[in-house]
This record gives sequence, C-alpha cells and structure tokens, in this order.
Amino acid sequence: MVSKKLVLTNAQGFHMRPASVFATAMGKYSCDVTIKFNGNQYNAKSLLNIIAACIKCGSEIEVICDGADENEALAEATQLIESGLGE
Amino acid sequence: MRITDLLKKSGIALGVKVANKSEAIDKLISLHEKCGNLKDVKAYKEGILNREKLGTTAVGMEVAIPHAKSDAVKAPALTAITVPDGVDYDSPDGQPCKLLFMIAATTDGDVHLEVLARLMQLLMHEDFTAQLKAAKTPEEFISIIDAKETEKFPDEPKAEVPAKKGYRVLAITACPTGIAHTYMAAESLQKAGDSLNIPIKVETNGSGGAKNVLTEEEIANCDGIIIAADITINLARFDGKPVLQCAVSDGIHKPEELINKIVNKEVPVYHHKGGSADAPKKRGGAYGHLMNGVSHMLPFVVAGGIFIAIAFLIDIACGVNAQEVGSAFGTVTPVAAWFKTLGGVAFNLMVPILSGFIAMSIADRPGLLVGLVGGFMATSGATFADPGAANTVPSGFLGGLLAGFVGGYLMLAIEKMCDKMPKALEGIKPVLIYPLLGLGGILVVMCAVNPFMGMINSGMSNGLNAIAANPAMMVPLCALLAGMMAIDMGGPFNKAAYAFATLNLANADDQAYIIMAAVMIGGMVPPIAIALSNTFFKNRWTDEERKNAPVNYVMGLSFITEGAIPYAAGHPLQVIPSCIVGSAVAGALSALFGCKLMAPHGGIFVFATMQGTWYFYLLALAIGAVVSMLMLALLKRPLKK
Repeated sequence: MVSKKLVLTNAQGFHMRPASVFATAMGKYSCDVTIKFNGNQYNAKSLLNIIAACIKCGSEIEVICDGADENEALAEATQLIESGLGE
Repeated sequence: MRITDLLKKSGIALGVKVANKSEAIDKLISLHEKCGNLKDVKAYKEGILNREKLGTTAVGMEVAIPHAKSDAVKAPALTAITVPDGVDYDSPDGQPCKLLFMIAATTDGDVHLEVLARLMQLLMHEDFTAQLKAAKTPEEFISIIDAKETEKFPDEPKAEVPAKKGYRVLAITACPTGIAHTYMAAESLQKAGDSLNIPIKVETNGSGGAKNVLTEEEIANCDGIIIAADITINLARFDGKPVLQCAVSDGIHKPEELINKIVNKEVPVYHHKGGSADAPKKRGGAYGHLMNGVSHMLPFVVAGGIFIAIAFLIDIACGVNAQEVGSAFGTVTPVAAWFKTLGGVAFNLMVPILSGFIAMSIADRPGLLVGLVGGFMATSGATFADPGAANTVPSGFLGGLLAGFVGGYLMLAIEKMCDKMPKALEGIKPVLIYPLLGLGGILVVMCAVNPFMGMINSGMSNGLNAIAANPAMMVPLCALLAGMMAIDMGGPFNKAAYAFATLNLANADDQAYIIMAAVMIGGMVPPIAIALSNTFFKNRWTDEERKNAPVNYVMGLSFITEGAIPYAAGHPLQVIPSCIVGSAVAGALSALFGCKLMAPHGGIFVFATMQGTWYFYLLALAIGAVVSMLMLALLKRPLKK
C-alpha cells in the first residue's frame, strides 16, 4: 500500500468535471484507490463518491493506492491533482 | 445550506416528457426562470451548454445534474424534473436519465460544490432515487428530500438550519382592529419568505384571536422574530432572541427588507425586563396602548348593541306601549328581555375590557387585573363609603380610560419597587405580590376618583334644575342637555342629563316631554355622526374603523350612544367636541320645533309616541348629525396613506 498527501489546487475544488476526470483515470488501474479526507475514506473510482466528499480548493487529501499497480496509480493521481485536474 | 432551502415547489416538474437532452435542459432552465432565480436567462443557458460540451453531467444511476456557475444567477437555487420515459443524456453507463437536477450557482462562494456534494451523498442511495422518481406531487418530492437530508445530516449547525422543517424567521402581525392589515402583512411576509427561500412562519393576532401561533420550540430555533404591529404585543416569550419591531404597514410594503435584516443578524437581541419601566417603549406610545384597548372593545359594543336594538324591535313589534312602560321598554316581552339583558352583559363588559387591555398593553400580563377591575369600578362608580356602588354615579368610558392608563403605569411602578425585594420572593411576585398590590392600588385610586363623579353629577343636576325653573331658557337648556349626552356617553355628564329628563317625565307636562326629546336626540346624534363620517369622509378612518361603522347607524337610531365610544376613545379630542356640538344643535332644534317625547328610551322605535312631531324630530336629528360630521371632518385630518 502506498499513499501520498496532496493539496487540491483547482479553484472550484472537486466538482463534477474534475471528479469525473479523476474517477475515470483511476478506473484504469486494478488496485483500490481511496481518498482520505476529513477523517473519512472515499472510493476514488466513483464519481459520486468523490463529489460526495465535498473537497474544496486548498484542502489536503491523502490518496491511498493498494494493489498490484499501486505505484503507477499513485503517480498519475499525483500528477492529475498537482496539475489542477486539467483546469 | 440544505437542498430544501434551494429547491422550491415551483421549481419541480414531475412526469415530464422530453425528446432529447436539449429539451430537458430547456425545461429545467424554464423552471429556474419561473422561480425568478436568474438575472439573464440567455447567459445562464450558455453556461449550462458550455459545461455540457466539456463532458456530460449525467452521473449514472439514471441521474443527471447539469449545472452552471454564472453571474447570470441571482441566488443559488435548484430545479428538478422527473422523466418517467427517460431521456438520452450521454450517460457514462449508457442508461437514459430519469431524474434531473439543475444547479444555478453564483460565482462567489462554494454553494455549488456543497449542493453537489450533498445531492451526491443522498443520490448514492438507490431507494432514495427510486422514491423521488415515483413522487406524485412537488410537495411529496420535497418531503422525501427533506426526510432523507434530516436522516443523513442529523446534527446540522443550528444557526443555519434550525430543526426539521424549522422556520428561520418568525413573525407576528397585528393591527388595531385585526381585520385587514394583519392578514395582508402576514401574506406579504409569507410570500417574501418563499421567494427568498427562507422558511417563515407568521402568527396573525387578528380579531379572531391569534392564529398560526408560534410554538416555544419554533421560537427557540429561529434566527429572529419580526413584530409588524400597530398594537402592543406581549414580548415576554421572545426574551433572548433578536426581535425586530415595526409598523404593520412595513410588513405589507417591505417584507424582504425585514426578513433580510433578521437573516443578516442586523437586529439586536431582545431582553425582556419583566415589564419594567423601560419595556413599553413601543410604537405609538399612549396611542398604541389606547388602540389595543379599543380594538378589544369593539366586538363587545357591536354585538351587545345589536342585541339591545333587537330587544327594542321585538317589544315594538309585540305592540308594547313605550310611553306606559317607561324605562322597562325593551324588557317587556320575555324574548325582548332575554335579548336586552344578555346583550347588556356584553355591553357592560365594554369599559372593563377597554381599560383592561390598555393596562395590559402598558404592563403586559400583570396589567390585565388592575385594568379590568379599574374599568369595572368606573362603570359601577364604587367609592370608599359605598363600595357596593348601590347609590353612585359611574364615571363611564372616560373613567375607564383613566383606569386603564393609571392601572397600567401603577403596575409598572409596583414592579419597579419590587426589584429591590429579596431574590427568594421572585417566584411569588407575579402570582401574589403584583396582583395584591395592584388590586389594592387601583381600588384606592378609583374609590378616590369616583366621588368626584358624584359631585359633578349632583352639581350638574342642581344647575339643570335652576335653569329649568326659568321657562324662557327652554331652548338653551335643551341644547345643553343634548350636548351633555355626548360628552362622556355614559359617564357623569350623560347620566346627569338623562336622569334629569327621566325624573322630569313624572311631571307629565309638555315641558318634560320636550326635554326628554332633546335628551334622546342628544344620545342619537353621536353614533349616526360617526357612521356618516365613515360613509362620506372615508379618508379620515382606517379600514377597520370603516368596516365597523355601518352598525352605528343602527345603534344611533336605537338611541344606543355607546356605539360611538370606540371612536371617541380612539380619537377623543376630535370626536367628542364634534359630537357635543352636533348633539347640542339637534337638541336646540328639537326644542324649537316643539318635539315631544313621552318614552324615555327606544330611539326610532318610539317615534310613534311623539304625537305627530316625529318628522321634525327626524329633521333635527339629521341636521345635528350632519353638523357633527362636518365638524369632525374639519378637526380630524385625512390619514396619511
């Protein structure tokens, strides 16, 4: 299991479009991807779950990948979030 | 921010048929437009379509949430439709969408994200989306969301959302008579609350009593209370909450402003002082207290007066000879006696109610006892020497006004004095000490005042007898007597004039009959003048006053002078002089015309006993009433609209 703490930088937080980008990207991997935020864990492969977490700009989240391709998954997650999820 | 705060009934359309995505979007936008959520419909639609170009907003599970954050949005809001047949919305799972929400978000703040997140959390439950899709009415749709939201987020911060279905803003509306403005203000506040999406509950303190009463729980959970009233409202139950006091017309004309003040916390917290001296600084001061008394008195006067008039009508219809029965007129037949006696019960409560509610307006609940008892003593005329009031002169409604104001301020003074008492006695103050001291105080005051009424009365009687000794003074005497009837409408002047006339009646000569005619006409002019003024000078009176005025025609013609009391009590400086002059003119004319009346009571019902002089009598009455009406129009300026 690998994990990394990241700060969300896109201005409007994890709203629908970035969430869908992120969920779709994570869906490619076979490992479990979880977002830990505010003491709760959310399935990062589910658009609904990510949005339900209500993650706003500047929030610190922890992305946890656990499975065969966990390193690749975490790398892409980091890259996506740091780049502002295409915004 | 709750979803139900953003979603209005009018923003929901169920069972919609749409052919494609673009029609679905148009439908949702049109709902936003209908609710008045948008500044610029075209710009908002552009925002929605641009967002859809970036990728579909369908989220799976037959749900889509199109949204746009835009300057074209007035305030954050939601609309929703259900599409039972489904619509192709390029959903990631390929399913058609059956449940669509559209978010309109302003460019400032995170409402957009919060609503989205909250919706998602609810929509993850399939039973919930199934329930929504099956909802039959917008009300049901909202209550499903509300229930789920409450279940899911039980511990919402209270300031933002009180309890389930909690009201953020409460209001009370009241106007002096409680027939029109009370309800207009309530409706206007309710509408403004709906359009601002702020749950509001309005209690109406109208003539039918308080409706839609605010509960303790609602008060505890609300942001603040708006008091839109022209009479004083007991504020003890709002201790520790922000209370905004204003005129009832503000409630009608600027409800949004009032609600926003409460929501934006611009209103200071109200601390009830248990009725201490600085508490009753309410709108209108003495006028507000007075109107509180008058508005409570009105129904007693109207209902009681009509019952008494019916009694006269029954007696006359049964062929009773008014001249023979004298003062028993109206109680001769058993049915008439029933109406007159029991109508009289309501009538006799009139002055105690007036003073009781004036005192209650001044000193809240503790004032009621002193005012009621003081008012009762004003009608009985009790004194130290004659507490049973067996042989006394009542001070009438003027004494009642005195009792109300003295009683109210007396109670405030007593409460202030009791501030220094030991804390241990706090509990028995309102149940024992205040009533005891207040009762003792008002009894002493009224027993001290009432003997003067007797003196005025006997002084007047002596003077009248002296004048009557000179036959040349007949016309001035009649003018004086008639004028006296209108001064206090039941107090020492009125009683002196009436007693003088009825005692003289025993002489059974023409002089006595002429005097009786003048006295009765003096008592008939005031209510008729009031009714005429309300008919021809509408702008002098409030809606409530006008609505109650027509019954004054009936009371005037029935010689029930008391019908004018609510108007005289409300505007004594204008109404009383006008009535005195009009009555005096009528009395003088009646004497000049030589009108003779053999019955001591009965108004128009005893005109038959007037030995053919009744048409002159009617003319004198009409002239007196018109004079009174014109004078009132001069003295009482039109109300400001």
